[in-house]
Amino acid sequence: MNIISCFKVVPDEQDITIKPNRDISFEKAPMTISAYDLNCIEAGAQLAEAFEGNLIGVSIGAKKIDDSKLKKNVLSRGPESILMVADDFLEDLDTYQTANALKAAIQKVGEFDLILCGEGSADLYAQQVGAQLGQLLNVPVINSVNKIALMEGKVIVERSLEDEVETIEIPLPAVISVTSDINLPRIPSMKQILAAGKKSATILSALDVGIGDFGATLQVIETKAPEQKERKKDIIQGDSDEAIKSFITKINKVLK
Amino acid sequence: MSDDRFDAIIVGGGIAGTVTAYLLAKEGLEVMLVERGNYSGSKNVTGGRIYSHSLEKIIPDFAQEAPVERKITREKISLMTDDSNVTIDFSSTRLGQQGSDSYSVLRGAFDQWLAGKAEDAGVQMVTGIRVDNLIVREGKVCGIVAGEDEMEANITILADGVNSLLAQKLGYRGELSPHQVAVGVKEIIELPSEVIDDRFNCKDGEGTSWLFAGTPSAGKVGGGFIYTNKASISLGVVCTLCELIKANKTIPQMLEDFKSHPSIEPLLKGGKMIEYSGHLVPEGGLHMVPKIIGDGVLIVGDAAGFCINLGYAVRGMDFAVGSAECAARAVLKAKETKNYSAEFLQCYQSFLDDSFVMKDLKHYKNFPHFLEETPRIFDGYPGMAADMMTDLFVVTGNPPQSMTRMMMKHVKQIGLLNIAKDGWKGVRSL
Repeated sequence: MNIISCFKVVPDEQDITIKPNRDISFEKAPMTISAYDLNCIEAGAQLAEAFEGNLIGVSIGAKKIDDSKLKKNVLSRGPESILMVADDFLEDLDTYQTANALKAAIQKVGEFDLILCGEGSADLYAQQVGAQLGQLLNVPVINSVNKIALMEGKVIVERSLEDEVETIEIPLPAVISVTSDINLPRIPSMKQILAAGKKSATILSALDVGIGDFGATLQVIETKAPEQKERKKDIIQGDSDEAIKSFITKINKVLK
Repeated sequence: MSDDRFDAIIVGGGIAGTVTAYLLAKEGLEVMLVERGNYSGSKNVTGGRIYSHSLEKIIPDFAQEAPVERKITREKISLMTDDSNVTIDFSSTRLGQQGSDSYSVLRGAFDQWLAGKAEDAGVQMVTGIRVDNLIVREGKVCGIVAGEDEMEANITILADGVNSLLAQKLGYRGELSPHQVAVGVKEIIELPSEVIDDRFNCKDGEGTSWLFAGTPSAGKVGGGFIYTNKASISLGVVCTLCELIKANKTIPQMLEDFKSHPSIEPLLKGGKMIEYSGHLVPEGGLHMVPKIIGDGVLIVGDAAGFCINLGYAVRGMDFAVGSAECAARAVLKAKETKNYSAEFLQCYQSFLDDSFVMKDLKHYKNFPHFLEETPRIFDGYPGMAADMMTDLFVVTGNPPQSMTRMMMKHVKQIGLLNIAKDGWKGVRSL
């Protein structure tokens, strides 16, 4: 049983800062696993552990995704190995280009039974790549999955829709996008982190997997943070009756 | 190496732990370092300066490579009251000579750099893991317990900080007592580096260390501090725990008041607070050093209480490095003879005794007590200094008084004898 969990590498949103001109700065943000893909890796790890399968983490992106801390982080979460295609033109791709790059990477992995994706990426959240990847690989694809039961040659999955739970049987191989409700990603244990240091990561160039420059279809002209509302900075200190009264008077005035 | 055993396990990825790990791995030992935060330095709060003499020995020219902020070439000490501030300002090219230089640091970046060094030397870094307990068999420490996992080692080194719960679990120390520790809070305030150069009268790359006694800690044992970083200022307040109970303000309020003091506010104008943190500071000096050697275990850095607060200078990081070096030497010696008993590991104590760590701690051993016993430093002298300065500099048109009388008036408020006594006691304790 070969399982592939796809993950995107994104700047850690905790450390993204907004400059005074509302530009977004990634300067201090280290690369990390896109939050939704933690669920995807966890789902892969649980299936691989239950069925003695082999789990591989696959990612594509600019050269900076080849980061030792990040790789160790992924490997401590269950995958036996990582395959990355890292080339600087693999940044700011559209979803179809991303799916194509992933397909090229996955073809290097070889045989697979199940490919898992997250519900969307933490930065753009287009929710397209999983579906397009299935199409490109010419295998069944289903999204919004929050339960997976693996059987011989097939999976039975559940999707929580607006007013019903849909149960679907899909023949393998297949591509499945999981929701963030499917599991609670593990906090790697000491031994898992230690073991991650011994696992392997293969880093390939675009050329190695036979893809040339896609040519940019997307041009980011500007990314701005929303304008901050000027606050009145009217601070009433203390908990005296007077302070409370003044607070209520002011609130009342605004509400009227 | 078998998967379940290391030569050494180090608990805590601060300076003491990381340097110990680095030195051991460099000599070929199999070393694991376990850090509770997501990265080294993430759980750390420091005022902000490292005296380089200790680390310079281990990583020569480290300041060229490490993410240090500014070289400290200006030292200021102030006596502060609610409305005034009397400052001694010392700047000299004698400060900042290589070997005796010091640097302001932001430990988030600095510790990660140090951790990188350790990792390159072969240390297995495990971050985001809390060590819950130690494996102890027949009184001998044999490794660590973290969640469901256990890992064994010939020696375990505790570098888990001022409130070392592991040392406490071993029974090597009791609960921290309120007079042994202070509470420190710190803000990092971002300002363009040219603005800092101008406001603090610093050359590019050079900076100021500034300590305050008096109102920052509401007249209690403690004080305020400012260190200039490249493009930010570390500013904070420290107050001894047992005194804090008696203070009329909370620590966050002390910090707010310090920031809005007329002498401080203009320095921070336009700055943006980017980080707020709080931590315990070991302040007991030699008297709080717990048992630091046991069968299969050594304690280093803050966990061992290796820190001195002299009022005009605060040192902890160089002791962290110094104790790490002694511990590493002891472990290497123990490995040679395969003897990790407490008896053999006493060589750690001898190495410490011969190093600046114990020499300095012993030298200043009465100073923490002196500070605590001399509240006038914090609630008397700042006011006296401000009043004297007021008489000197404020011109009202009233007839002048003789200088002696003018000054003695203020001295008498505290009492000449008291001043002499405090001075004598203070100098003796140094």
